[in-house]
Amino acid sequence: MKNVLKKTKPSLYLQIGLFIILFIFLILPLIVMLFKVNGNDFGFVFKDNNFYKAIGNSLIYTSIGTIISVVLATIAAYFLSRIQVKGKKWLVILLTLPMLIPTISIGLGVRTLFGVGGFLDQMFGLKFDGLGFFDLIIGSVVFSFPVAFLLIYDAFLYEDRSVYDAANTLGIKRLRTFFGITIPYLKTTLISAFFASFTLIFADYGLPMEVAGKVKTLPMYLYEQVLSSFKYGRGAVISLVLLLPAIVAFVFDVLNKDTSDGTAKKENIAPSKAFNITGLVINIFMAVVLFIPSLAFIVISFVKRFPSDMTFTFENYVNAFSPYSTVSIVDFLINSLVISLFAGIFGTIVAYTAAYTSVRTSGKMAKPLHLISIATLAVPGLVLGIGYVFLFADTTGWFAGTITILIVVNIIHYFSSPYLMAKNAFDKINKNYETVADTLGISHVSLFFKVMVPNTIGTLVQMFSYLFINSMITISAVSFLCTYTTQPLAVSITTYEAQAIWEMESVISSLILLINFGAKIGFDYLSKWLEKLNKGKVETKMELTRNQFSFLTYLDDHNKKPLNQRQIADGITLSLGTTNKILNEFIENDVIIVHKNKTIEITEKGYKLLEPYKVRKAIVIAAGFGSRMAPVTLDTPKPLVKVNGVRIIDTLLDALYAKDITNITIIVGYKKEQFKQLLEKYPTIKFIENPIYNESNNISSMYAAKDIIDRCYICEADLVISNPSVITKYQYSSNYLGAHVSETDDWCFFKKGNYIDRVAVGGEDCWHMIGISYWNEKDSMKLREDIVKVFNSRGGKEKYWDNVPLTICKKDFKIEVRECKKKYVTEIDNFSELIIIDPSYKDYKSKTEF
Amino acid sequence: MDNLNKISVVNINKKYNGQIILEDISFDIKSGEFISILGSSGCGKTTLLKILIGIEKSDTGSILKDGEEITNKKPSERGMGLVFQNYALFPNMNVWNNVAYALKAQRLPKEEIKQRVDDVLAIVGLSEFALKKPGKMSGGQQQRVAIARTLALNPDIILFDEPMAALDADIRMSLRKEIKELQKKLNKTMIYVTHDQEEAFSMSDRIIVMNDNHIVQYDTPNNIYKHPQNDFVKKFVVNHLDEKAKAILDSTK
Ligand SMILES: Nc1ncnc2c1ncn2[C@@H]1O[C@H](COP(=O)(O)OP(=O)(O)O)[C@@H](O)[C@H]1O
Ligand SMILES: [Mg+2]
Repeated sequence: MKNVLKKTKPSLYLQIGLFIILFIFLILPLIVMLFKVNGNDFGFVFKDNNFYKAIGNSLIYTSIGTIISVVLATIAAYFLSRIQVKGKKWLVILLTLPMLIPTISIGLGVRTLFGVGGFLDQMFGLKFDGLGFFDLIIGSVVFSFPVAFLLIYDAFLYEDRSVYDAANTLGIKRLRTFFGITIPYLKTTLISAFFASFTLIFADYGLPMEVAGKVKTLPMYLYEQVLSSFKYGRGAVISLVLLLPAIVAFVFDVLNKDTSDGTAKKENIAPSKAFNITGLVINIFMAVVLFIPSLAFIVISFVKRFPSDMTFTFENYVNAFSPYSTVSIVDFLINSLVISLFAGIFGTIVAYTAAYTSVRTSGKMAKPLHLISIATLAVPGLVLGIGYVFLFADTTGWFAGTITILIVVNIIHYFSSPYLMAKNAFDKINKNYETVADTLGISHVSLFFKVMVPNTIGTLVQMFSYLFINSMITISAVSFLCTYTTQPLAVSITTYEAQAIWEMESVISSLILLINFGAKIGFDYLSKWLEKLNKGKVETKMELTRNQFSFLTYLDDHNKKPLNQRQIADGITLSLGTTNKILNEFIENDVIIVHKNKTIEITEKGYKLLEPYKVRKAIVIAAGFGSRMAPVTLDTPKPLVKVNGVRIIDTLLDALYAKDITNITIIVGYKKEQFKQLLEKYPTIKFIENPIYNESNNISSMYAAKDIIDRCYICEADLVISNPSVITKYQYSSNYLGAHVSETDDWCFFKKGNYIDRVAVGGEDCWHMIGISYWNEKDSMKLREDIVKVFNSRGGKEKYWDNVPLTICKKDFKIEVRECKKKYVTEIDNFSELIIIDPSYKDYKSKTEF
Repeated sequence: MDNLNKISVVNINKKYNGQIILEDISFDIKSGEFISILGSSGCGKTTLLKILIGIEKSDTGSILKDGEEITNKKPSERGMGLVFQNYALFPNMNVWNNVAYALKAQRLPKEEIKQRVDDVLAIVGLSEFALKKPGKMSGGQQQRVAIARTLALNPDIILFDEPMAALDADIRMSLRKEIKELQKKLNKTMIYVTHDQEEAFSMSDRIIVMNDNHIVQYDTPNNIYKHPQNDFVKKFVVNHLDEKAKAILDSTK
């Protein structure tokens, strides 16, 4: 018995209801279509030579078009994801522009470019006939490119780039990494992109209508059988063949679920200037080429008679918009807007509700509902259209033949994308809200409207935008279902095509492009704006890369000083290219503001990004006796010994105070009362006593302090710090301070990669260990545990605490060496060294008697 | 009246997909007590809380509140509040509305809502944050909003599910104190789930120590420390206490 208290019932009913709706409008038409097919139709189609010719033609141009499209999309996406330029967003919009227009319009563009008397003929005397395989391939590449591009670009954005850093340090060339790393990583995505392009081209008939000429394609064959001969049964048989590639693609996608973690990864190596320029040129070139067909029809929409009379005129538009002209498109425009608007509204509502119940309620129909929702992807528009013709034949007047059926078919045809958008949005929302609502006595309905909707408002707008734009351009799903009075704009192009009135086709194509472009930009903007409005300013949980971190902390250190990129690059030892890239990213994301006088200011948001790396406190170990410093230490604990008039520990405390690190805890033991004098100068310090300092090693001091270890410096108290910049306000990762030495007989580190591999006493070409370390949150917690573990183990009390993370529990930690010069921090080892530095101790006599 | 148990849990058993999650759980809690449920992660603490407040149903057993059976009541009718580990605040609403939402849902009069929200925000010390959205606040502040949201409904029992787990060590210390003071001030019964020994020992009147789906000891911190019931309690609870906590416990009789 499961959970009778949870309101499973209403959500189950909702799921069943939605499932039934989708079943009626997606599956049922297909089933009815199957049953309507009779032996005669089968016999005819499978005996018809034209059928096999059409399949052959379709396979040839679809395969070639798909391959070219995927290759070009891969190249474009590869470069665009890696180059560092401003305005990438606009390049993406340009590269995907063909998604905003009907394929028939692309056909129109291609035909008027390559055709007899077309632009290439007029300008260069190049004569193609503008019809046939060549044009089919060009056109299909243009309209399938954006789909492939978006899929691949997305995969590139989420790719983990650290492997390339590694490859780069090993000196492996870009081209090699492209084939060795990139392509294998992309395998699934590439196959998906291949299938997506293939099904798109294979089932499209807008383009062939314009440019196929004598090359009959499968959708055209279907179209002829249905619309010219009214043989719907044969249409159904052909539909089954059209359905095949889409089903293969669908099954592949369902089996290969996206496994990326959904966070964009950043590359650490900056691309070279040459790479940047090459990439930019390639992308701009592709965007331009993709735009040329659109440019062609835009131009034609402004000429008197193409191609014979190329004088400029507004007449076409005037005629199109005067309600009484023979070529008036006003009614079609209204039809289109009404269809798109309502498909947008209702499609969004249904997809949103379906996603909500399948993600966030415990109804048992969640899985089937999800599957049927994404299954809409697998049914080409033409097939769906034929299915509707069969299923709704008897509803003429009240459903078939009305605008409503067009709205419905568009919703179903484009259902899966908005559904998935909503599903992703709901997946990201806190899983506990429903439970919270139950305990607070808030109904789930209220929760839905007051919490779910406001927090996904941006997605809602995007869903609407998607449905609207696609309903504006589709022909395939609606062409069998519309009448002359319900005909939408895109379908009306086919009417003018039949009459070869290219100017009007161009006017309509341009108009659709204009409307959809406006819709796309407008809705994108609206969605961002609403999202911001709702969350207060959106909290970006951007994590800083190490380079970004260095950049930002460098700015913090040089606050209010004019800086140029070169200075910053030198200051943080990065290439100018990387520095510039970070600078631009930061400006774009409001992390910094560059003022006119060249000073750079970190914004509130910038400081928020730094916050996780802020050093919270310092723990200073000062419990020991300092035997080698006798006789001074007989009277005074070593940290309090004055060297040239300054207490040793003051050099550290001053450096900490200078960086606003005032949460300081000193672990005291030997002559602990004397440390109280520090409070005068450093009122914020606290003390913890190590009661067993004289019977154990320094691990006992850390044990006494273990509960406060958290994002802190752990410092020895007897270091003389001559350069206070070794203490910084922020730290990127856990580390020890170290100075490179060619030889030492003191404690030192050996590194493996960036991390400390082992510690030793004495060594060559190694890192002299300086007793100032930093521990980030994760490592702090581990250090607490490990200190306790070791301390409580046998002989644990005799250990140096540093050996806990560096040797005994090494596998738990990854600790870096933070480099500094040896002279910045000195340790006075014994009394004779002290006398050399401060000769006033020469005649020192202890006041304490043995 | 005072001797009546605030809560009595009798013989709760719970399985998920045939796997035992809670086994024969029974205990009583007196009014105004602060009880910790201490146990390692996965031992069933959250499930137990969910059953107490009614978002999950137990397979067997019953729950009595003030002597009255509430096993089949809706969560919102049990007079209990639950504070979640990850706050679960509504990001689109400011602090004030987050707290007021449940009251509005109950259709209380406007003045009363205002009075109650202002009061609880004052109690948790967030009055000046009323108009801020939670996304802009620190973890500690967000958790205080969540507590205020629970308090606004005036439950007589408040449940906490590891409320500090996502917070910085520093903030944990101060919030620990605040919750304890809150309990004294409001005299509410509190049940506090944690896997942190120090937290349990420093805050609680009594501790329910759980291991492997059942209760291994239920007693005052002092008694648990001095007379651990079995090896588990001795090894994994008492021995893991830090020196300070041990020192305090040693000094009490
Ligand atoms: N809804 C559920 N379905 C199946 N198993 C669950 C469910 N919720 C919790 N569990 C399992 O029950 C056990 C106890 O979980 P929980 O009560 O969350 O433990 P705790 O809060 O002590 O960490 C875990 O093994 C967990 O995997
Ligand atoms: Mg839990």
